[in-house]
Amino acid sequence: MSQIGVVIRETYRRQVKAWSFLILVISPFVFILISFGVGYVSSNTGQNNNQVAVVTTDASLRHELQNSKTVTAKYGTTTRAKQAVKNDKIKGYLKIEQSKNKIAAVYHGTKHLTQNEKRSFLEVIGQKQQEINVQSADLSQAQAKALGMQPQFEQVVKTDNNDNQETIKTASFMLLLFIMYFILITYTSATAQEIAAEKGTKIMEMIFSSMTAQKYFYGKIGGIFCVIATQILIYILGGSILYSLAPRFEFSKQIFNDNKTFIDKIIANLGSLNLIYVIAGVVLFTVLAALCGALVVRPEDATKATQPALYIVMVGFFGALMLGQNPTNIIVEVLSFVPFLSSFFMPIRIIDGSAGTVQVIISLLILLASTFGLTFYVGKIYSGLILQTDDIGLLKSFRRGISIK
Amino acid sequence: MLKVDALYKNFSDKKVLRGINFTVPSGQIAGLVGKNGAGKTTIFHSILNFVGFEGEITFDGKKLTEKHYSQIGYLPEERSLMPKLTVFEQVRFLANLKGVSTKEVQKRLGEWLERLQVKGKPEDKIKSLSKGNQQKIQLICTLLHNPKLIILDEPFSGLDPINTDLLKQVILDEKKRGATIIFSDHDMTNVEEVCDDLIMISNGKVVLNGDIQAVRNSFGLTRIFVRSDWTKEQLAGLPHVRRVSQTKSGSYRLELDDEKYGTELFETITKGEYVQTFDQQPPTLNEIFKIKAGENK
Repeated sequence: MSQIGVVIRETYRRQVKAWSFLILVISPFVFILISFGVGYVSSNTGQNNNQVAVVTTDASLRHELQNSKTVTAKYGTTTRAKQAVKNDKIKGYLKIEQSKNKIAAVYHGTKHLTQNEKRSFLEVIGQKQQEINVQSADLSQAQAKALGMQPQFEQVVKTDNNDNQETIKTASFMLLLFIMYFILITYTSATAQEIAAEKGTKIMEMIFSSMTAQKYFYGKIGGIFCVIATQILIYILGGSILYSLAPRFEFSKQIFNDNKTFIDKIIANLGSLNLIYVIAGVVLFTVLAALCGALVVRPEDATKATQPALYIVMVGFFGALMLGQNPTNIIVEVLSFVPFLSSFFMPIRIIDGSAGTVQVIISLLILLASTFGLTFYVGKIYSGLILQTDDIGLLKSFRRGISIK
Repeated sequence: MLKVDALYKNFSDKKVLRGINFTVPSGQIAGLVGKNGAGKTTIFHSILNFVGFEGEITFDGKKLTEKHYSQIGYLPEERSLMPKLTVFEQVRFLANLKGVSTKEVQKRLGEWLERLQVKGKPEDKIKSLSKGNQQKIQLICTLLHNPKLIILDEPFSGLDPINTDLLKQVILDEKKRGATIIFSDHDMTNVEEVCDDLIMISNGKVVLNGDIQAVRNSFGLTRIFVRSDWTKEQLAGLPHVRRVSQTKSGSYRLELDDEKYGTELFETITKGEYVQTFDQQPPTLNEIFKIKAGENK
């Protein structure tokens, strides 16, 4: 294995084996599972004592009514149903009796029937009463058919497509923005900490006696990038599993199916060029964080040193948050070409469709050139920065680091 | 052979190295000595290309570059390893960088742990080892890949006498293997016992360089150790005796103006009396170090 490969492997192993990484990666899934779990449990426990028993001697009527989820077949007699209400197992029971071609239904319970329940009971009972009425009237087939005639009712809804598109764009952008923000906040601090911790040790001299500092730096950034990629891959994999499982569970089926088109479009927006912007942005900020970490002498000063990088992240995040609704704003257009900020602002314009292909290519080239350029430059001065261990402040440390080589 | 030729290095306005020249022949051990801040570590950093410099440094006739890294074993001045790694992980990482395969590391690590009498196993975390054992692990990291050129920056600092002897033996074994070794130290006894050559620097310049015994002899046999019935006062009253001091063993140590007066003194002291010891020697490296350091204040 090449020396850069060895450094990538060691950096990756060390970070992925840490508890903090595991917690970082699984916490969103734990949160989602807990949310689903709570929803499932509450809907299940709530369902039982919200059910209604049907007490009737008419088997066909009972069968029709039991098609509803809110009706239970467990308590078929008045005594059992009464006992169930008393024990708070059901909210009430519907007693249906038929006398002289007339159906009488009485509901006894501790809670009112909902409008939906009442409507569905009346529909079934009304249909049954209609059948009895037709039979007792001794009508001809044609008369019976005429009486069974129902009015025609249709819904013709014209959805406002523009509104939907706007919602999809906003949701896609917000999701992308928050994912990027959390990755950047997490990894800029972690990278600076790691580099600062290494700088405090003389083992760096042993490493630099085995390979150039420049190669070591590339390996280090490569290792951190692999860790970030692993986290994103785990999220993609976890998201795919949730995507395939959601329509199979009762508690999520309805919501998922209602929003499937919406979800699919957001997923499509998250992919494409935006992913390249996120990746290049993350690498660029990681390199900047590494530079910040290399300027301090003690690991505890790393947080202080990353402030400039974090300020840029915040300017990008909050700026994009405020101007996200206005993709054609001149500030958004200008910042979508500025390295470090273009990762926040260009995706707004790409999702909106207001950035031309040439503009996207130019912005992307500037971003990639800045990423490679900064990586190369920091790699070149890395030895001087790391081996300079006097506590003389960030700027002086930077100047001295450059002058060592 | 390691050759350092006209080595200059400035840090801002400060001239740290001012034309350093020396060679360490293949398979020899050289001791690099000098006061704190004399530039010893900067010389090592220049050899390792950590810092930019003026001059030329070659190994076996070729300019030292990245290509030589796998042939170099370097032990820095301060000891530190990655505390969260196990012994095996730490050694494997550095050995892999030197081009040693993991399989080979597994094989060699056990031998080295035994050889250096490390109290710990490969699967132990570095942080669980004592400071002395961590130092030994760092030495293993320096030597496991059988380097041709070994650079040790104050390797004996912090070691107890037993481990100091152990390390001296390892250094001598490495010499037998054919390695070219250069190390810095403040303790001249270590240098005298282990090294073939001495390189003494002061104020960024080499002030003494060469075979240790030859360097000592160049200062003349101006020390005489006497054990007899003569008192300190009597000895101090003799001509050409600059100073008299008593050693721990009870004999007197006389400093002469010149070695040529030794014969004269021998005749005076031994005339008609029994003398247990009369030994004329050059100054010790410690004394030479103090003399040279004093000259360059």
